[in-house]
Amino acid sequence: MLRRTALATSTLLIGALLLTSCTGTTTSPGPTGDPDPNATLTVRLSLEPSNLDIRHTSGAALEQALIDNVYQGLVTRDGDQNNAIVPALASAWQISPDGLTYTFTLRDGVTFHDGSALTADDVVTSLQTAKDDATIQSSADLAGVTSIASPDATTVVVTLAQPNSDFLFALTGRAGLVFKNGDTTNLQTAANGTGPFRVENWSTGQSLTLSRYDGYWGEKAGVAEVVLDYIPDQSAATNAAVSGDIDVALEIDPELQSQIEATNTFTIETGLTTDKGTLAFNNARAPLNDQRIREALRLAIDHNALAETLVTAQPLNGPIPPLDPGYEDLTGSISYNPDRARELLAEAGAENLNLTLTIPNVYPGTLATFLVSSFADVGVTLKVDQVDFSTWLTDVYTNHDYDLSFVRHVEARDFGNWANPSYYFGYDNPEVQGLYAQALASTDEQQSSDLLAEAARIVDDEDAADWLFLSAPRTAVATDVANFPKNSLNVRLPLASVTVAAE
Amino acid sequence: MIRYTLTRLGLLVVGLAVASVLIFLSLRVLPGDVAQLVGGTQADPAQVAAIRESLGLNVPLWQQYTAWIGGLFRGDLGTSLLTGTSVVAELLDKAQVTVPLAAMSLTVAVVVGIPFGVLSALGRRRAWGTAFSVGAQALAAVPVVWAGMMLVVVFAVWLGWLPPQGFPRAGWGDPAAAFRALILPAVTIGVVEGAMLLRFVRSATLQALGQDYVRTAAAKGLTRTRALLSHGLPNVGLSVITVLGLQIAGIIVGAVVIEQLFTLPGVGRMLVADVAARDLPKVQGELLALTGIVLIVGFVVDLVHRLIDPRQREAA
Repeated sequence: MLRRTALATSTLLIGALLLTSCTGTTTSPGPTGDPDPNATLTVRLSLEPSNLDIRHTSGAALEQALIDNVYQGLVTRDGDQNNAIVPALASAWQISPDGLTYTFTLRDGVTFHDGSALTADDVVTSLQTAKDDATIQSSADLAGVTSIASPDATTVVVTLAQPNSDFLFALTGRAGLVFKNGDTTNLQTAANGTGPFRVENWSTGQSLTLSRYDGYWGEKAGVAEVVLDYIPDQSAATNAAVSGDIDVALEIDPELQSQIEATNTFTIETGLTTDKGTLAFNNARAPLNDQRIREALRLAIDHNALAETLVTAQPLNGPIPPLDPGYEDLTGSISYNPDRARELLAEAGAENLNLTLTIPNVYPGTLATFLVSSFADVGVTLKVDQVDFSTWLTDVYTNHDYDLSFVRHVEARDFGNWANPSYYFGYDNPEVQGLYAQALASTDEQQSSDLLAEAARIVDDEDAADWLFLSAPRTAVATDVANFPKNSLNVRLPLASVTVAAE
Repeated sequence: MIRYTLTRLGLLVVGLAVASVLIFLSLRVLPGDVAQLVGGTQADPAQVAAIRESLGLNVPLWQQYTAWIGGLFRGDLGTSLLTGTSVVAELLDKAQVTVPLAAMSLTVAVVVGIPFGVLSALGRRRAWGTAFSVGAQALAAVPVVWAGMMLVVVFAVWLGWLPPQGFPRAGWGDPAAAFRALILPAVTIGVVEGAMLLRFVRSATLQALGQDYVRTAAAKGLTRTRALLSHGLPNVGLSVITVLGLQIAGIIVGAVVIEQLFTLPGVGRMLVADVAARDLPKVQGELLALTGIVLIVGFVVDLVHRLIDPRQREAA
């Protein structure tokens, strides 16, 4: 048995080694035949929603699965076109010159998955409820709305108290989703939307199955069925791809990528996101209320090396990512300089500084290790406090009890957090708040964007945080899958036009 | 016997009551807040307060506890805060994965542990006997996760005989696929638990071999092996039953880990997801059900032990 065990162990080890080095599997690329309308598309996602109630439950997992596929609003955004706002349930809209009145023309022939027709009343009630009920997600996005009305059966008019350049974008989010008035569906475990897919089955802890809705108002979905397979473990996901269980894998582990590539049946794509890996400094509390210390910490980080270590990341300088209005390339605003960091710390009288980093345990340990050694190099001792996300929400987000914190802020256009002194960043600068308010109130897109850029420069100059990286996740797409979207897939995964070739 | 059963039953009930209090309280001191999680990173304190109210979290603790216990007497373990589904229904659904997985793991453990344990005792002075026990020592020390990963590499990825992860969407509607999906996870748990069982069976058998009645039987002309089989094994069996009862707890813990590794939609994976979501009513129902299983198994083992061991009956 001893010898057998030893033999078995060495066989296992050799197997593991072979697997990481061999490229021997000779499956040829799939046929690029015509799209198969009866196909099932299986997509690996990592994070499963805790229920399907998209109106009341936070988390990117719900938006990713349901918006554009199952639920729709008047307008939506196209991640592959720089998040441009495009029509959905409204075929067209007009904005009055003063920026206060939005007039939407509803599309004809829209039905909910239960067969009932969409009415202007459904739209008005949905928006009004989202505005009035504080328990609805992003309800605050509609705070500036003064009236929602439908003068006739195909028109909805929304009036604002003051211009809001982010208003249409807010309607692409949860607050703008349209639900059937008086719906009796249990929205926690089922759904009734207007999108190209209906929720067929949710098998908790496993998968969410969507099926083509044949009564869809637009072009019908390219596949009959979509299975969103929730596989949190990276190596399990890689194995599932290698053994052909899935057609697409989101957010693959770059370390395991070669195993997927070795099958020759997948192409690897990199997408843009608005997913900002944010190292927050508690600006409201000593010692990080001292800008010299904040700057020193930023100077101690070699952002290029970090991006290389993480692989699926690129450096991001400043709070606004390239897909958002107000972006400008702030490269060079801060560059790796540990000597200067040590000087600044000495000036601030903060030699032998001890700081704590609160980081949710969903993020890989590599990041914390990198920061610990970067900071140690300039004489700062970093203690890493790994907590679960729920604890982070209570301690950091709600109670602001932290020195440094790391989370990925995935939302698009969330610069407003820097203009909100009660946000957990604790950053309070009236000039930034003023510029942000002006940017929102501006009816001129370019002007609005310029004002945001100016505000972002100030936030960056004051070292209010460090933007460690912008996520650039990799997606493995089987060669027989076409039209798979590329950008911001962690918050939107529109699958209507995806097709799978017939074998 | 009746008196003994009643006493043990009383202890079982007391155990469950204590467990219910401990589970309830320990979950309440857990940091984190479901309302905050539901609200997310865009909700302000007023919104979180509104969510807390709508979820019924403002009810005093003792009322929450008595409502929960009251439900237990009606066979109701509570309902999920997030999906509104009953915990019993969810448990029954997930048990379709976990119970077969546990049963298969136990089978593997018994098949590995008992025969090889007896053999390694019989051959303790030979090379192969020593090899068995050293091998078992090594296997018992292997972390379940590592064993699982290696088995996946060889049998799923390399040889392609079995699926590397997941459970068929049709569940037991596709029995062959469902069974195949559970083989690697069950072997993973079973081999590690089986190795522990092997060591135990080996020492129990060795002990039996040294007993007077085995020696007497051998002196009366039986071979040592025959003497062991007819007189020693029933005694070994008794202690094995006790150990198996304890191992069921180990298998349940193993299932929680292995279900993560193999992405199996079972009770363990549900429990981990619910803890992360702070769906406390659901977590407490699940924990109590698992605790109940372990306590009931202990109770049954005690009764069986007494039933089949004449010495215990007579002592009473």
